[in-house]
Amino acid sequence: MKITKPSYIVAIAFALGVLGSTAAQAACGKVTIAEMNWASAQAAARVDAFILKHGYGCASETVPGDTMPTAVSMTEKGRPDIAPELWLNNIKEPIDKAIKEKRLVIVGDVLQNADKNAGEGWWVPRYMLEKTPELTTIEGVKKHASLFKDPEDPGKGRLLGCPAGWACQISTQNLYDAFAMKDAGFNLVDPGSGAALAGAIAKAYNRGEGILTYYWAPTSLLSKLDMVRVDMGPHDKNAFEKCIGIADCANPKPNSFPVSEIKTVVATKFANTNPAPMEYLKSRVWTPEAFGAVLTYMEKEQANGQAAAVWFLKNHEKTWSEWVPANIAAKVKAAL
Amino acid sequence: MMWSNTFPQIAESTLRTLSRAIDKGYLTFSREYGAAIEAFFEPLLYFLIGFERVLLGSPWWVIIGTIGLISYAASRSWKLVLGVVLALCLIGVFGMWENTMRTMAMILVCTLLSILIGIPIGIFMSRSGRGQKIILPILDVMQTMPSFVYLIPVVMLLGIGRVPGLIAVVIYAIPPVIRLTNLGIRLVEKDALEAAEAFGASRLQKLLKVQLPLALPTIMAGINQTIMMALAMVVIASMIGVRGLGQPVLQAVTNQYFALGLFNGTAVVVLAIIFDRVTQRFGLRLQKHREGAR
Repeated sequence: MKITKPSYIVAIAFALGVLGSTAAQAACGKVTIAEMNWASAQAAARVDAFILKHGYGCASETVPGDTMPTAVSMTEKGRPDIAPELWLNNIKEPIDKAIKEKRLVIVGDVLQNADKNAGEGWWVPRYMLEKTPELTTIEGVKKHASLFKDPEDPGKGRLLGCPAGWACQISTQNLYDAFAMKDAGFNLVDPGSGAALAGAIAKAYNRGEGILTYYWAPTSLLSKLDMVRVDMGPHDKNAFEKCIGIADCANPKPNSFPVSEIKTVVATKFANTNPAPMEYLKSRVWTPEAFGAVLTYMEKEQANGQAAAVWFLKNHEKTWSEWVPANIAAKVKAAL
Repeated sequence: MMWSNTFPQIAESTLRTLSRAIDKGYLTFSREYGAAIEAFFEPLLYFLIGFERVLLGSPWWVIIGTIGLISYAASRSWKLVLGVVLALCLIGVFGMWENTMRTMAMILVCTLLSILIGIPIGIFMSRSGRGQKIILPILDVMQTMPSFVYLIPVVMLLGIGRVPGLIAVVIYAIPPVIRLTNLGIRLVEKDALEAAEAFGASRLQKLLKVQLPLALPTIMAGINQTIMMALAMVVIASMIGVRGLGQPVLQAVTNQYFALGLFNGTAVVVLAIIFDRVTQRFGLRLQKHREGAR
């Protein structure tokens, strides 16, 4: 059976005859969209799913995902078809390989000016800067381990790292070594899971405690809490990819987190058979304002991705109508 | 829309207001009392850290020897001791000694705490029918509520680390000890109690000299189950930053490192088997003694 799925669905629709209008709709077939487990990616996935479904007639559905498993599954199985918001920094090698083997295609950016508005880093709450302004740089932070008290090891400071198994655990560990944080009196603590990391940050922030933590933007957490990224000096791309980002980096040198490459990635099969949806994905680049508005809405209303997507499509028509041709925009609007 | 087709639910906005109000209430609570509650648990934290340091700081052969002695004292079976020692050596050879010790410290403290809290509650339940009616459903909730539902509020209150992990484990693992203490005492035969009463035993004497000794095998089975359930929570606890065998398992799961997951998962199983066999043999010996006395 070498029939590809879209043609298979078209064939069925054709055989049934009566489904004339649905045949046109089914042209794009079943599309699975990876919905990552953080807020911005959930909203992005749901907006894509809605527009593809009602604008382009795809039978789109979202499936839960996470950076590494989704990338692996897309490479190996071609499913899910679309990852609207994939963070490439930490999975550079396998993604490059998959692109070379023509299994995946990078469509484009998710967020405008991603370098300024997004990225990983070590963060401190702004209220700490008021008392100790030098905490804006890593050198300043290192002088004040006592401000970031580790409750399980009194007398030491705590750097809340990245959860076990996440790719950022490797880079955080290497940067911890590179900046000799241990000698400065800091323990690197594994929070265990994303939920626990967010919970620990929220706890410290709400009580006005000192905290130094790995995190990333854009996230609903950081759009709610006023945190500042610690300046870790210039980013050396080559050194980062050769050493900091790799598990057995023998001699890590100080570096900073790279500018985040957050891209929309699709499986090649989908890219080749669906030109119109591909056009949409290419032009769908979020402005930081629109993304921020959606994240704030999600946080404030405790909305899930689907509710946020509907809210966005209803209230920010100007933004999204630029992503699609007029007739498609009309269809989406009619479905709202 | 017909009312019969969609459930007449509360308006979404009302629901949202409600959940926001609850969240806000919890946030205020944690701001007000969080520090005090944290201070309350501090001794427990130091005990946990101290115990872990002892296990990690002692030479490995001392630990293995002690565990071997304990298993012999509990089981009087050389075969079992040999198995325990071999299993622990294997864990060490595969480089999981440190994490195993951390997990063991955690499990032992959790079990101890569960026994200290659980047995008195069980005794209370066995004496009060109304108490049993109230406590049983609470135990059901503790065993079935998905852990993350209460884990994250606990993290909001106490931060990440051992103490919230301990609380999560104890919540999940304490029900068997309570249930089986209650059951064991309730199953003590009336004749034995009547005989004690005839000798003029006080309530306390009846409890300590008749009911508890006769219920001991059942209580041991409860403790055994508690230990097993505590071990089952190791991976969940590591999701809120408890160090030990759970962390490599998590790492393995997220990165598809099958071997790493298998090794550490097996180490958890080995620990479980050791605890299980030793406590079961101990329980069995208690029972044998009782039958011999009859």
